[in-house]
Amino acid sequence: MTTEQTIRSLDDPDLFVETPGTIYDAIPPLPPRTEREAEFYTMRDGEMLINLGPQHPSTHGVLRVVLKIDGERVVDLDPVLGYLHRGVEKICENGDWHHAISNCDPLEYIAAMFSEAMPVMVAEKLLDLEVPHRAEYIRVLAWELNRISSHALFVGWLALDLGGLTPILYGFIERDEIVEMLAALTGQRLLFNYLRIGGVNGDLNHDFLSRLGDWMGNALKRIEEQQKLLNSNEIFVARTRGLGVIDRDMARRTLLSGPVLRATGIPYDVRRAHPYSVYPELEFTIPTREEGDSYARYLLHLDEIKQSIHIIDQVLHRMPDGPVMAKVPRLMRIPPGRAYVSVESPRGQYSAYGMSDGSDQPFRLRIHDPSFFNLQAVGLLMPGNLVADTMAIMASLDPIMGGIDK
Amino acid sequence: MGIGRSAISVPPFPSASEPQPSQRSSATDTALKRRLQERLGPQLLGAVTARQDTTEIRIGPTDVARVMTLLHDDPEFRFLILSDLCGVDTGSVMQVVYHLWSDATPDWLRVIVDGLPRDDPRAPSVTFLWNGAEWAEREAYDMFGIIFEGNRDLRRIYMPPDYQSFPLRKDFLLADDAARSPGQGVRHMEQTFQPAEYRRTEVLRQGLGSDAGQMAPGLQTAELASGEDPAR
Amino acid sequence: MEVNNDRPVIQPSVTSGGQPLEARDEPAPMASDQPSNPQDGLATTRDDSLVEPIIVANSTWTPADPTAYNGGQPPQITHLRELELGDKSDNARWGALDIIPTKADYVLDLIRINSLWPLLSGLACCAMEMMSAATSRNDMDRFGMFPFRASPRQADVLIVAGTLTTKMAGPLVRLWEQMPEPKWCVAMGDCTCSGGRYKRSYATVEGIDRVMPVDVYVPGCPPRPEGLIYGMMKLQQLIKERRGHWPERHIGPTVPVGV
Repeated sequence: MTTEQTIRSLDDPDLFVETPGTIYDAIPPLPPRTEREAEFYTMRDGEMLINLGPQHPSTHGVLRVVLKIDGERVVDLDPVLGYLHRGVEKICENGDWHHAISNCDPLEYIAAMFSEAMPVMVAEKLLDLEVPHRAEYIRVLAWELNRISSHALFVGWLALDLGGLTPILYGFIERDEIVEMLAALTGQRLLFNYLRIGGVNGDLNHDFLSRLGDWMGNALKRIEEQQKLLNSNEIFVARTRGLGVIDRDMARRTLLSGPVLRATGIPYDVRRAHPYSVYPELEFTIPTREEGDSYARYLLHLDEIKQSIHIIDQVLHRMPDGPVMAKVPRLMRIPPGRAYVSVESPRGQYSAYGMSDGSDQPFRLRIHDPSFFNLQAVGLLMPGNLVADTMAIMASLDPIMGGIDK
Repeated sequence: MGIGRSAISVPPFPSASEPQPSQRSSATDTALKRRLQERLGPQLLGAVTARQDTTEIRIGPTDVARVMTLLHDDPEFRFLILSDLCGVDTGSVMQVVYHLWSDATPDWLRVIVDGLPRDDPRAPSVTFLWNGAEWAEREAYDMFGIIFEGNRDLRRIYMPPDYQSFPLRKDFLLADDAARSPGQGVRHMEQTFQPAEYRRTEVLRQGLGSDAGQMAPGLQTAELASGEDPAR
Repeated sequence: MEVNNDRPVIQPSVTSGGQPLEARDEPAPMASDQPSNPQDGLATTRDDSLVEPIIVANSTWTPADPTAYNGGQPPQITHLRELELGDKSDNARWGALDIIPTKADYVLDLIRINSLWPLLSGLACCAMEMMSAATSRNDMDRFGMFPFRASPRQADVLIVAGTLTTKMAGPLVRLWEQMPEPKWCVAMGDCTCSGGRYKRSYATVEGIDRVMPVDVYVPGCPPRPEGLIYGMMKLQQLIKERRGHWPERHIGPTVPVGV
């Protein structure tokens, strides 16, 4: 092999020519590189490797799972990630702290306020910046609205993966209404770019408040409707009850968080465990369930929607007056330091570790998405179940590939 | 945009100076700081620092297993939840950073495993305490090249398995930055950085010589240190 | 069948024996949809204007060459690899029959545009807006596009929604190749049009037109569902305009070569 490096242009038409035995085959042509891979790719008599490829009808995004099945039962599995790895952390390092806000948006694209909050809260911590009270309340409002829309979609997708086509339409109605009101507030439906270091981008306006009022009027009623659709549906219950049971100790060791963890009985919610923003002033309970199966996770998501509606109610009643943005310089040279922040996103504990070296570029901005750890649970849950249940398990863990793959 | 950093001379990250006194009143747990200093005294490199709501300790890679087990099992610490595990490249050394949460203290605990050399970063794995750390360690390996000893499944998680570089290292430049750096000229986006003695977990090594060459010609040379027998 | 001797006659490039008439030794280009190997007798111009339909006298729908309905290959070759090794010119169903567009063509195009079945290819954030466009509030079902097929074999349109990474590029191109013709591609979102916000990244493909031919670009980050519907309607308009000449559509990046 020559020592000089040939530069391959991305315009080279041979770049994606299939070589014999590509890395996209189910059984990789390379000999196994690790113990676990060797264990997985040695097959006993009657076992088969099936590729649940990166494109599949369950719309969680591009996740590839190589299943080792024996007949119809899954014996083992190997999730392959990275089909959506966009190099967000590296791009953040090469830009400003302000650029990082819009760069980190698409990580949790359904509930983008939480992923936006990461560089914002890290920078505020590093700067010791006090965010105005009104801005904090608006942030909580936006967070809880995002949580509701994300949970409504979760319910829809869980049903969709089990074959029901109606609940997803209900879920999208909820989501579209919430997202239209957030578009009135922030200007964008999906990747809001609304939070700023020191506050939020703009104050509440009439359009947003009138839509919010209309929606709040029958929010609870709609949730009851959604509940009625699925809660006692025989097929849904038969397929989710007892499926994918996680016990507490395994849940803690697998570092799960969010509804997946609370459905096993551990009441760990970052809003109460390590309060941030104005959550200490608000009254809400942390719903937990004991069983730890998919049905419990589904019911927990519905409970959380109700809690979020309650929080939004309080926020609207207690909203203070004042500025929505602190006085910060445009060119922000953050003094050197390290900071760790964590919020409770719809999927669990969303956290970020930021390092600043004194310039205005982040030295290291590490975003940690809860779906990343939650997805490891599939390795525990899928073996022993039928192939038809794999997607149901995956759906009940609510993964978002944007955050997993960064 | 601000002043970028030139590719060659990556300034070393400012070492642990005492942080600015915080202007906001956030409670830091001074009792925790004291307890850590008592129990872990000899293993700590430098003092325990506390800022806002985070207490931070630094240890060396050899002490990781002992310190983590102590923090996990000890009834007065009870750091049962690992919130985050990440790798850091400071330009001069590599670090692995853990963040722990305990119900006994309102603070986060940050454990920085400092002093991993940039050309051969190795750290012990904490998968014996938390299974979920497996993928986080895979990610740190994929992005930095930090080898976690004890992780049963240390392979690339984001990049394709035959990818040669470690993207988040400071000497890996994006194409734009490579083009803008003085004296660099336009370079290829991936600047391969081969660590000196690069070993993987000791498993099946048969056929690695001939088969690997088919897939990625560079794989062979990266794999073996000089003069090593591939069948070992 | 009568042949008008003043006009050029289409010679089939493959005889019924399956051997190509002339050796095709240049490597097959990646996008199998480009008119790369011009057939003899077909007056193809190299500029981008629409090709004049060639008038060949025809008697009801029987083709001159019995292998025309097999894509020019003998019927026993069905594997994708063999198709790749063979010539990649468009010798699919209607290719050998460039006839005057008739009312039947018009009706066929109407049929096609009113039931374009997309393939579920939601990669990232734009997939949310695509799903939003498909559900109750912005309904794509009224255009006939509700069934999002899971299998590429049953799909007409590939709406690529979301960032294409280098790891995913292979599977996506494989999906594209598995789709039967006629097929169209819609690049939805900034990341698929040009790389978007990830243009500097080490792991993304800067626009899917580097790996596959694109018919409609829908910009936005993410584009509103109404925007996607507008893009689909543009696609419908495009199909109608082509009047069956789908392989000669304007595709590919508009950036001049060498930039």
